[in-house]
Amino acid sequence: MKRPKRFGYRQRARLGVSLLMALISLLLVLPLWYVLNNAFKVEKEILRSPLLLLPRSATLDNVANAFKAMKYPQRFLNSTIILALSCALLICLGSLAAFGIAMARSRFLNGVYAVMVATITLPFQLAMVPLIFLLKGLHLLNTYWGTALVYSAWFLPFVIFLYTGFIRTIPRELEEAGRVDGCGLLRSFLAIHLPLLKSVTGTVLILRGVPIWNDLLVPMITLTRSTLSTLPLKLYSFIGAYGASMTHWNLVFGGTFIVSLPILLAFLFLQRYFVRGVVAGAIKG
Amino acid sequence: MGRRKLSQTQRRQLSCIWFVLPALAVVFVFFLFPMLRSLVYSFTNWDGIALTSRWVGLKNFAAVVTDPSFKQVLFNTLYLTVIYVPVLNVVALLFAVAVYNSGKAGNVYKSMLFFPNLLSMTVIALIWRIIYIHDGLLNHFLRAVGLKALVQDWLGTVATVLPAMSLTIIWFAVGYYLLIYLAGLNTVPVEIYECAEVEGVRPAQRLFRITIPLIAPSITINTVLSTIGIITLFDLPFVLTRGGPGYMSETLALHVYFYAFVQLKTSYALALAVILGLFATLITLIQLRLLRRREEAVL
Repeated sequence: MKRPKRFGYRQRARLGVSLLMALISLLLVLPLWYVLNNAFKVEKEILRSPLLLLPRSATLDNVANAFKAMKYPQRFLNSTIILALSCALLICLGSLAAFGIAMARSRFLNGVYAVMVATITLPFQLAMVPLIFLLKGLHLLNTYWGTALVYSAWFLPFVIFLYTGFIRTIPRELEEAGRVDGCGLLRSFLAIHLPLLKSVTGTVLILRGVPIWNDLLVPMITLTRSTLSTLPLKLYSFIGAYGASMTHWNLVFGGTFIVSLPILLAFLFLQRYFVRGVVAGAIKG
Repeated sequence: MGRRKLSQTQRRQLSCIWFVLPALAVVFVFFLFPMLRSLVYSFTNWDGIALTSRWVGLKNFAAVVTDPSFKQVLFNTLYLTVIYVPVLNVVALLFAVAVYNSGKAGNVYKSMLFFPNLLSMTVIALIWRIIYIHDGLLNHFLRAVGLKALVQDWLGTVATVLPAMSLTIIWFAVGYYLLIYLAGLNTVPVEIYECAEVEGVRPAQRLFRITIPLIAPSITINTVLSTIGIITLFDLPFVLTRGGPGYMSETLALHVYFYAFVQLKTSYALALAVILGLFATLITLIQLRLLRRREEAVL
């Protein structure tokens, strides 16, 4: 196909917008680039010329020091355990409850569902203080399970909302056909519905897993013993220890880099799912 | 019921309850019950430790509201909301339109703008502390380009701390809201734009007369989400400034934490949490009403 060589008004406008956006995007990731590049500079160079866009020196000292000072492997394990427990609870309890609500068509369960949906927007701070005393009473403070239960209770209403919305789009005939074949409710959930829930489960993992992994507030008030700290909590306490002046820039850069690394890797490999997850959640919401 | 068999539907409904029960129990015990406790105990002198508590009426609320810090904290929360929600939404929408019009390169911009949103707010706040502090990156930059007069401690100065904090939060959040707007834009049929072009509609007209009315649902979602988000935001302001200098950047959400876990004034924390909950709920309901009405007016 022959195309006119000169760009029309529209193409030129598009090119302009695209170039402008390229500039803005670069400008906006600049702070992250500073972390990445300063994390590998020698400390002297960081202090002398922090604005340099490419390191003249290269060292792994900052990362290694931060790794050691944070006791990284233990904190990583803590974060992973809490994330895994919370997500397991959210997915199992959430999908079961949503299935029950969607199948029952009962007034009681619809009422329960309405209450759940109404609590989605209530601030966590409203439950926070009595919750801590409750956990203390149940000996769940400073335990992985306690923290995971806090996240589950906080996020289950939203997760149930997502799952219910999805299960309601699955034709009821599927379950009815199963029943004719002698399938109980649980069997039909496991055999028919569960396999269809993969994509919503992905959305749940991204919309709630990422905030759980990144959270500071809940670990700060439920995990006061430092051996149980999660990565963000450790990063906070370990840099807070150096005061507000933040003189140890090398440790700050190294620390923020290694704490962000798992998410960075996940994003590089699963980018499409992240974007899709956010969008799916928003459309339902 | 006696010996009469339950109808099949009734039996089904009963067995469905078993599916809901575990989740309901967790939500009730670890979320709803503590919330109800907050509501009730905010009218007592409960300190969390003593087994007995006495009804004190509105005393806690009165004490919290008349505290000299309260005015400032409420002002900060309102200030952040009033700046953050409109600016964030306008910027995110403009970026979304630009990304939408950037063709294939748009995917790259989208990912770049969204990525900060995946990082921990603790990380984000530390990065921006290094930018804003006295010998930080921003001041280095200002000196390098000869704007020495502007050099200052951005987080330690009363006049700059809230704008600086707003900028950081917007930078952090914009990619997320951009994605939602982009999804909205993708639901608008391309034919409408083609038609508009044939009719000779100008770009600005196209944005205000076609795009914005057609993505009204996304605007509603984003406005409500971003308002709740900023009112309850904790991690980022906490790590960035801890509310300082003085109370100059402290928000209601931070203030509840400080009452509860630093000053150990449990009953004040409860009262303030209830105020925060009411505040958030009220604003959400008002917004939903106004925005839904606008949505309907468009259709």
